[in-house]
Amino acid sequence: MAACHADRRIPLTVYSTHGRDQLSLLETAFEREHPDIDLRWLDMGSQEVLDRLRFERVNPQADVWFGGPTTIFDRGVHDSLLAPYRPRWAGAVDPHGVGPDDLYWPVYRTPAVIAYNSRAVPENLAPRDWDDVLAPEWHDRVLIRDPMASGTMRAIWGLIIERSLARTGDTTAAMAWLRKLDAQTRTYTLNPAILSQKLAREEGLVTLWDLPDILIDRGKGLPFGYTFPQSGTVVIDDAIGLVRGARHPDAARAFIDFVGGTEAQILTARRVFRLPARTDLPADSVPAWVADVERRMVIADMNWPLLAREGSRWMAYWDQHVRGTGRASRNRR
Amino acid sequence: MNGRSRSRLAAWALLLLLVWLVVYPLVLVLADALRADGRWSLAWVRQFAASGIEWSALWGSVWISLASVAVAGLVGVPLAFLVERLDFPGRRWLATALALPAVLPPLVGSVAFLFLFGETGFLARLVQTILRLDAPPWRFEGALAILLVHGYTMYAYFYLFTRAGLASLDTSVYEAAASLGAGRRRTLTRVVLPLLRPALGGAALLVFMTSLASFSAPYLFGGGFRVMTTQIVATRLNGDESLAMVETVSLTLVALAALWLLSRVEGDVAVAGKGVAPAPRQVTSRARRALLGGAAWLVGTALLLPHLTLLLVSFVPLGTWTTEAVPPAYTLRNYVTLVTDPVRWRPLLNSLWMALAATAAAVALAIVAGMLVVRRRVPERRWIEVLLAMPWAVPGTVFAIALATAFSVHRPALARVVLIGTVWLLPLAYLVRNLPLTGRALLAGFRGLDPALDEAAATLGAGRLRTLARVTLPLLRPALVAGATLAFVTAFGDFVTSIVLYTYDTRPISLEILGSLRQSDVGVAAAYGVVLMLVSATVFALGAERRAEGG
Repeated sequence: MAACHADRRIPLTVYSTHGRDQLSLLETAFEREHPDIDLRWLDMGSQEVLDRLRFERVNPQADVWFGGPTTIFDRGVHDSLLAPYRPRWAGAVDPHGVGPDDLYWPVYRTPAVIAYNSRAVPENLAPRDWDDVLAPEWHDRVLIRDPMASGTMRAIWGLIIERSLARTGDTTAAMAWLRKLDAQTRTYTLNPAILSQKLAREEGLVTLWDLPDILIDRGKGLPFGYTFPQSGTVVIDDAIGLVRGARHPDAARAFIDFVGGTEAQILTARRVFRLPARTDLPADSVPAWVADVERRMVIADMNWPLLAREGSRWMAYWDQHVRGTGRASRNRR
Repeated sequence: MNGRSRSRLAAWALLLLLVWLVVYPLVLVLADALRADGRWSLAWVRQFAASGIEWSALWGSVWISLASVAVAGLVGVPLAFLVERLDFPGRRWLATALALPAVLPPLVGSVAFLFLFGETGFLARLVQTILRLDAPPWRFEGALAILLVHGYTMYAYFYLFTRAGLASLDTSVYEAAASLGAGRRRTLTRVVLPLLRPALGGAALLVFMTSLASFSAPYLFGGGFRVMTTQIVATRLNGDESLAMVETVSLTLVALAALWLLSRVEGDVAVAGKGVAPAPRQVTSRARRALLGGAAWLVGTALLLPHLTLLLVSFVPLGTWTTEAVPPAYTLRNYVTLVTDPVRWRPLLNSLWMALAATAAAVALAIVAGMLVVRRRVPERRWIEVLLAMPWAVPGTVFAIALATAFSVHRPALARVVLIGTVWLLPLAYLVRNLPLTGRALLAGFRGLDPALDEAAATLGAGRLRTLARVTLPLLRPALVAGATLAFVTAFGDFVTSIVLYTYDTRPISLEILGSLRQSDVGVAAAYGVVLMLVSATVFALGAERRAEGG
């Protein structure tokens, strides 16, 4: 097996949460630029990346951790799984997504959107804001990715709860809101692939999900549309970091430089719908959809440290006291 | 050294090996979890015990598993009797096809369920159209959906084990019952079923443990229904490693309790007989033949519907089949993608060699265990049995993490070597995960063999090895084949262990399915699933042939 790779190139191992299309795309472009490096990616979920880096701590197998929300990178920081590196493009990203001591860097931004089945729902009738999803016409028509198992959903829950905290000082209003959403919810789906199938097959008409996945599915021909919530949405920073104890640190640094570099940022925006984290890309080189998104997207004020601190407790409360109770309280009325 | 002490020595060697591969890694992660901030702490256990949700998840796991055993048994056992004892047109084909549900390909198999049974699936649409309903007639989620998926994928354990048991029941048993005046029904309830007890017990245990550790079904169709496996994943995602470990331990304890209970029920019986099963009864009346054959094929087709759906999906172009009753268009492109790109078919070869190697090793270990436990009746036999079954008492992900943790450092003094990053760790994990399958099958097989046959061989001057090769193994063939084929197809399609342990060089087929699904390439994922099913079907068919030769 190993004999197949008897070439002299440096094997660079990347653990990534990104999909095959994106990784193959970057592999080709990166190896063209660095003929001495053989990029080997392993795709998995963000929890699996964290698990692997943890048990490989004494004997690291990966060089780069590529992909996942900064919240999960923070757990990697807590477990000392990352090494500092300041990439060449360090000055060109929003500093709030940067890890402590340069341990990770944002490369993409992932906004949450309200998505709908565009064949069943005309664009002008689609929900325009979070509160619209609670309207009677969407009763039993909302599909929700299980928020316990998804970084995007946890961020949306965080937004709802922080909004309530800012207005009323406690989480009661937020939990009441989430209970209403629970009443609207047809089903909670743990797996994203199943969620997208259910939306396409009109088992539900509306869902809350992240923009790149919706755009990719749409590119594959699924009938999906989306709106940006008018009152503001969460934007999750998707990060990259150098693994502590990496065997090929130089190649790893070259890859990090590459992913955040102008060429790769534009390439992934064009081909796999990744919203660049770089804020200095020349306006005429980014694809039209990026400009369109930048224009329409309203970003909500989020207290990320608060979410990091309290998130687990909020989620546990929701799981125990809100999930599945909406329907009951609705019936009682 | 006499035979007795040699057996003891072998038993201890086997025990040590099993402890090293099964218990030791788990103890390492458990210790990790309970040592919060460098101190031993029971805080997490208390938190677990105080939470109603944890208990309801545990209870959910237990009752779903018990119900799964019942459903799987009610489907699998009668089917086994049907194809073993009666002859009808196409019996051999059906017999092989019926084993297929054991290998519903990971992930994409569940998508097939959705397309078939889901509220917008083929069947629901059909019923809705016929009855002219406004809304879908049912929702495919919750406990019932899980139970359906479990029953469907797990009846194969009962089916294969019962067939193996029936195949080794001697003609003389039936003749004796008949000559004592027992009718067919009485023979069944008083003679055949009791003699099948080891096989049925083994299957029941496997089904119970598989559903206890089942993740995909509740993950995909659970809706809000709580079971422990999904709870563990949620807890881990929430960052509570220690609580997740306590949850894992609770699940493991339930599984071990089941194992203990079963060993009480199963007993150490070994039955007499030469293991030559009677030929299937010929159904002579033409009308009854047609009726019986038709009914059997009807049931078979119903059970293969998800596979057929998968086949259909593999010919559907991207994003086209959504609200239509049948696919609006067909294409071969999904298969073309699969065969033209060498990167895409290497995982197939990887899975093949790893599953083969793991199965061979697991069978060898199970034979040794069977000899020691049933034949030599070593005092350590209970422990060997428990350890053989344990890998399935623990959820796959946790077990994989345990193996990875144990074999990520080089401390030979502590029996820890670096296997992580090598091509060996994943096949090793498959091997350990296969032990319950081959172990259960062969223990049941050994228990169904008459020890007098060995003695006869010995009296005739055959040495121990010769007896094993020429007498015991040929007689064990049905059990061996049942265990080995199940082990192979399980490893071949494994997902939960693989995603934690695969490396660049051992990327298995299931990861390819996951990769395609993540891109919403359902068709390509289905094409992989079909390839996986074909390979598994071939293995089952080969197995059936070997069995036929041996019988």
